[in-house]
Amino acid sequence: MDFGQFILMRHELLLILAAVIVLIAELAVSESSKARIIPFALGLFALVTIAGFIPGETGTLFGGSYQSNELTTMMKNVLNMGVLIIFLQSESWLKKPENVDKASEYFVLTLATLVGMNYMISAGDFLIFYVGLETATIPIAGLAAFDKLKSRSAEAGIKLILSSALSSGILLFGLSMIYGATGSIYFADVLKNVSATPLIIMGFIFFVAGMGFKISLVPFHFWTADVYEGAPIGVTSYLSVVSKGAAVFIFTIVLFTVFRPIMEQWQHLIYTLAVMTMTLANLFALRQDNLKRFLAFSSIAQAGFILLGILGANGMGMASVVYFVLVYVFTNLGAFGVVAAVSAASGVETISGYNGLYKTNPKLSLLMTLSLFSLAGIPPVAGFFGKFFLFTSAAGSGYFILVLIAVLNATISLYYYLRVVKAMFIDANEDPAPTFRSSNAMRLGLIMCLAGMFIIGFASTIFDYLRNISDVLFN
Amino acid sequence: MNSEMLILFFIIALVLVGIAIIFSSLAAPRSTNPIKFDPYECGIPTEGPAWIQFNVGYYLFAIIYLIFDVETVFLFPWAVVMKSIGIRAFVEILIFFFILVLGLLYAWKKKALKWA
Amino acid sequence: MNVVMFYLLSAIILIFSLLSITTRKILRAAVYLLFVLVATSGFYFLLNYEFMAAVQLTLYAGGIVVLIIFSILLTSHISHKFKHPALLNLLMGAGVAVIGAGVALYIIFNEKFTANGQPELPVDMTAIGTQLLSTEKNGYVLPFELISVLLLAAIIAAIVIAKKGKQEEKES
Repeated sequence: MDFGQFILMRHELLLILAAVIVLIAELAVSESSKARIIPFALGLFALVTIAGFIPGETGTLFGGSYQSNELTTMMKNVLNMGVLIIFLQSESWLKKPENVDKASEYFVLTLATLVGMNYMISAGDFLIFYVGLETATIPIAGLAAFDKLKSRSAEAGIKLILSSALSSGILLFGLSMIYGATGSIYFADVLKNVSATPLIIMGFIFFVAGMGFKISLVPFHFWTADVYEGAPIGVTSYLSVVSKGAAVFIFTIVLFTVFRPIMEQWQHLIYTLAVMTMTLANLFALRQDNLKRFLAFSSIAQAGFILLGILGANGMGMASVVYFVLVYVFTNLGAFGVVAAVSAASGVETISGYNGLYKTNPKLSLLMTLSLFSLAGIPPVAGFFGKFFLFTSAAGSGYFILVLIAVLNATISLYYYLRVVKAMFIDANEDPAPTFRSSNAMRLGLIMCLAGMFIIGFASTIFDYLRNISDVLFN
Repeated sequence: MNSEMLILFFIIALVLVGIAIIFSSLAAPRSTNPIKFDPYECGIPTEGPAWIQFNVGYYLFAIIYLIFDVETVFLFPWAVVMKSIGIRAFVEILIFFFILVLGLLYAWKKKALKWA
Repeated sequence: MNVVMFYLLSAIILIFSLLSITTRKILRAAVYLLFVLVATSGFYFLLNYEFMAAVQLTLYAGGIVVLIIFSILLTSHISHKFKHPALLNLLMGAGVAVIGAGVALYIIFNEKFTANGQPELPVDMTAIGTQLLSTEKNGYVLPFELISVLLLAAIIAAIVIAKKGKQEEKES
């Protein structure tokens, strides 16, 4: 084959290159200049992110094992942007003396998982998909246990590795059944041979269960809150935004392409999961006081809403899912960024600790409010449009009752999102978190979230573009 | 080796070892003495259980060993076909090696290979 | 005769798997697991898949069990004896297991496995090597290279977790 074709894998190759460069830098620099790696890695990754947007060829490689099209390129760019914001927001955390000599490991591990996610998205067979999935999960356990002297962080790492090992095992068992029934691991061949036989249905249910763990849908969500609470905030936001977004992307692609012949069957399954996920996660979120746990349940509920778009099972559904994840990246990172900034400055991580935050840190409170409004789906911010398109997609396929349930759930979620807003603006506090000024990188990360929330909401060309490229899956 | 032979081998081994054990238990002289059941440790009475908490260094060595064990597994099939495939096989293994050698260098730099 | 070997190995695997999950001492569970893994390699020998059998023995029986035992010995509750589970939990667990196994077996036995017209693949070392390095369809060079990234990340993650940093050495 022609080595020039590797340009198709430019996203993955750039990420591997960046990871290798950061690692070599780590090997080369002396102990005293470790801190200089942080801005270097940030700049390097910013270049990689920008390079990802350069339009280039698309096609398939390795006899169909690897496929790229405009849609997968777009998904990878969304993930890259999310990671860039997370890196910016983690900068001050990494500069702390206990983390500074582990900073390059943080970058290398994150980039390695991102490589895995990118290969998952571009997978053309179940083997690449599975190796990508493992690459995307195992190192995250190391990241979750990053504050290893804190027992909560170590516990988060253990819980993450155990639940992800279990879910990978279940998923692999399901895939082996599908392989046994269809005789191939290639998506294109499986698609030709898939039909609603009991074995394939069983394999498919195992597959959904395995992916359900990664996306943290409701019967498979038990690990989420503990891991999110225990892991460092930079890792939590990575788990809840980028890792989950990537899993949603690949889940949607596989459902829409490989399992299209059994669409009727999986729609029932996804319907049930959507109702359970939205409702139960909302009920749990109502009674949380720790903000990281609160955001964990909120992110589970958001995953339930995403399933509505998947149910659409057409180009509109695909576009609405990608659009929602794009919005969710900026929105949720806005919220996590504020939590990270406040936690870094004052150590407060509870909702009651946010009482009176508006008086001392008005800008952060405002950004937090906008993010929460966006998560709840209140108009001027982008979250509203994200939910709106998901609901439209589901309604377009005739799921009116489900849309009704979703709207009810969105209303419930409004209550608990507003609880945080009320704490910041209305509740009096004699001893509010002190006024502080975040580092420049953190401010840049937060400004990017803010800009993203407005630009994506108002620039309708973004959704039109997604709508155009989404039909590629259905040819 | 076909499995008949394997099973036969298994049975013969079982019988031979069984005979030896039975014979020795019949013929050997017996003495029951509490000191006899002490694990031998230079004559000093043993203290505490044998299952003690290990140093974390063992774990580090074991996992690094395991990772390079996986690497060797891939080397075998590569070595068999390297000659017939030629330069492409060489480039492919070079990429694989390059990335893993970085891991080894990293372990070296972090003094994970040193017994501390 | 292969059938006899198959049932013999299956019996070993079943018995030791059950022992491994029912024993109340964690180190014993690890040792029972070793027997399960060794017996599994017997299956690969039965299928004349020597490469996979060797991998099973060197990686799983040789590497992973040693790693598991080391990690158990790292903990401070090595000789901790687990309590017997409550009767209700035991019954519920057994019920779920029986129903699950029943459904799975029923489905698998009723499936007519057709090879979809594909010929049986050779499993000798040359075939494995050729496919591993092939860039065409049914070639696995991309997962092969991706695994190196996974292994690199695994080394780094393991060292990050297990190795004390400068800061921590000062504190301890």
